[in-house]
Amino acid sequence: MNFLRKAVVASLSAAWLFAGAIVHAEVVIVLNSGEGSISLIDKAKMEEIKRVPIGKEPHHLMATPDDKFLIVANAASNDLVLLDPVTGDIKKRIDKISDPYQVGFSPDRKWFVSVSNRLDRVDIYNGADFSLVKRIPTAKVPSHVAFDAKSTMALVTMQDSDELVGIDLATQSVKWRMKTGKMPAGVWMTPDDKYALVGMTGEDYVEVIDWRTQKLVKKIVTGKGAHNFLAMGDGRRILVTNRVSNTVNIIDQTTLTVVDTIPVPGGPDCMELTRDGKQLWVTSRWIKKVTVVDMDSKKIIKQIPVGKSPHGIYFASHAARK
Amino acid sequence: MFEWIANLFAELHGHVFQTAVLPLLHAAGYGGYAELAFDATEVFLIGAIEITLLAIVLGALERNFPLEQQDEEEKRVDVIYTLLQRLGFVPLLMFALLTPLIDGFDGWLRMHDVIPWKLEDALPALNASPWLSFAVYVVVLDFVAYWLHRWQHRVTFWWSLHALHHSQRSMSFWSDDRNHLLDDVLMDGAFALVALLIGVPPAQFVTIVVATRVVESLSHANLRLSFGRIGEYLLVSPRFHRVHHAIGFGHEGRARGCNFAVLFPAWDVLFGTANMDPVYPKTGIRDQLEGKEYGRGFWQQQWLGLVRLGSSLAGRN
Repeated sequence: MNFLRKAVVASLSAAWLFAGAIVHAEVVIVLNSGEGSISLIDKAKMEEIKRVPIGKEPHHLMATPDDKFLIVANAASNDLVLLDPVTGDIKKRIDKISDPYQVGFSPDRKWFVSVSNRLDRVDIYNGADFSLVKRIPTAKVPSHVAFDAKSTMALVTMQDSDELVGIDLATQSVKWRMKTGKMPAGVWMTPDDKYALVGMTGEDYVEVIDWRTQKLVKKIVTGKGAHNFLAMGDGRRILVTNRVSNTVNIIDQTTLTVVDTIPVPGGPDCMELTRDGKQLWVTSRWIKKVTVVDMDSKKIIKQIPVGKSPHGIYFASHAARK
Repeated sequence: MFEWIANLFAELHGHVFQTAVLPLLHAAGYGGYAELAFDATEVFLIGAIEITLLAIVLGALERNFPLEQQDEEEKRVDVIYTLLQRLGFVPLLMFALLTPLIDGFDGWLRMHDVIPWKLEDALPALNASPWLSFAVYVVVLDFVAYWLHRWQHRVTFWWSLHALHHSQRSMSFWSDDRNHLLDDVLMDGAFALVALLIGVPPAQFVTIVVATRVVESLSHANLRLSFGRIGEYLLVSPRFHRVHHAIGFGHEGRARGCNFAVLFPAWDVLFGTANMDPVYPKTGIRDQLEGKEYGRGFWQQQWLGLVRLGSSLAGRN
């Protein structure tokens, strides 16, 4: 009897552990912008678990400041979908957000800024309840947004008019505009809040801009189609994708130089790095795949088939955003 | 099987885009159009594969079971129209012309706090089912296509352009795209506006167009083919559409014609314009019998279309 009880307890414990493993299997969330779906990938097995319809043209995603939800911006559906950041389950839909392409919260969480890529607008919402504060008409094809540490400015790249624009958040108005190289896309603020790094997708370099004086400080040659950034979590290095040369560079923010190059095929676009810095996950935009790179050997571990035109990517156990 | 084909196509699409299109685009300083060029490459490749398959299948059927003798010179001009349209050159031109207008209008609406309505607002279930949403869009857009087609025949100045499509007296599966470019502007503009108003995303719009044009090619084929007693009411057949192109009664009468449907004959049945007679008449426009000229080559046809439009607007026709 005693043996039977032990066996039952042992079986239940094993079952509980197994169920726990299933429940906690971490999911990678990929936005298939060309087919209106998200791919949920088992991060450990590196296999797509399922594909879920999400809305029209989901391009970018970000966690809410409290990390409770993951926001997916559906540009053509004019809405935001809030997901569970660990499981990818759809939790809520927020309507009446006009053409949200790239989105971002100011560091003080007061403002939620939505960049309207198709309609040449930057829309500023209340960060607490997503109520519209102001729509600001801009130059052609606003692309990405970054903020200064004090939340006074939103810096927005203008992809087709080759400009970086500074928007004063207190007055919700354009404070300054400056010319850049061809097709500025991703924009990243250095940790000392001094420089904005801007990826020139129409060129092969990253511009280092002193945003307070609107002066070009330096051009860091990376690769053709320099596009988007991701912090590596150590406060020093960042990654940049080069969509045409099919590479990812590591840039040292203190020396403002390229310190390494990683080949990533298929038009590398958005990235996510594991907390331990060992795996880099990249959406390969032109080949319907996510590419996983081993950061020690700089070799590709696996390419995982996903939906059409994969763009944004996220997993909860990511490297710190610094 | 379907997934295998889709993956194979994705490989081809990615390869062609990255090796042939993207480097050229960047070299020319148009890297900003990468995503548009990516979609255009897809349209081009799908079009090339589609035309090849249609030429093999429908070409073989037309050669072996022709309804009537073909004018090969006329057919060659229709091939040019088909290549221009289905390899994406005309759609790209239309996109360049219409996008600033549509986006300008859409942007103006947003500045006045109007976000265009979409079908999903009324039927939230569509958010969870892309196939259902695709089906609903096809039905809605086909309904719109029926009425736009009626107006192509009813509105005098529009008919002066659309007549080019009906001037083909030697109809074949190549004839579907034989249109005046201004007729394309009007149709595509109206469609784009409707797509905006009901919220069809551009990528899905392309898929709908590609899927429906196979039926449109078949409906123009030089074949004695009907879909049977029930089938004739379900999908537009070569018999159904030939009657629409018929000399004498295809463009005349109270509705200025019959059988206007593009995909589903149900619209003609519903609005009283269906002709289900089991006949395969000669095609063309009545005034061609009296010697009216609509042009032999591409440029002549386009020019004469403009002349007819001018006369129509001046009230001489």
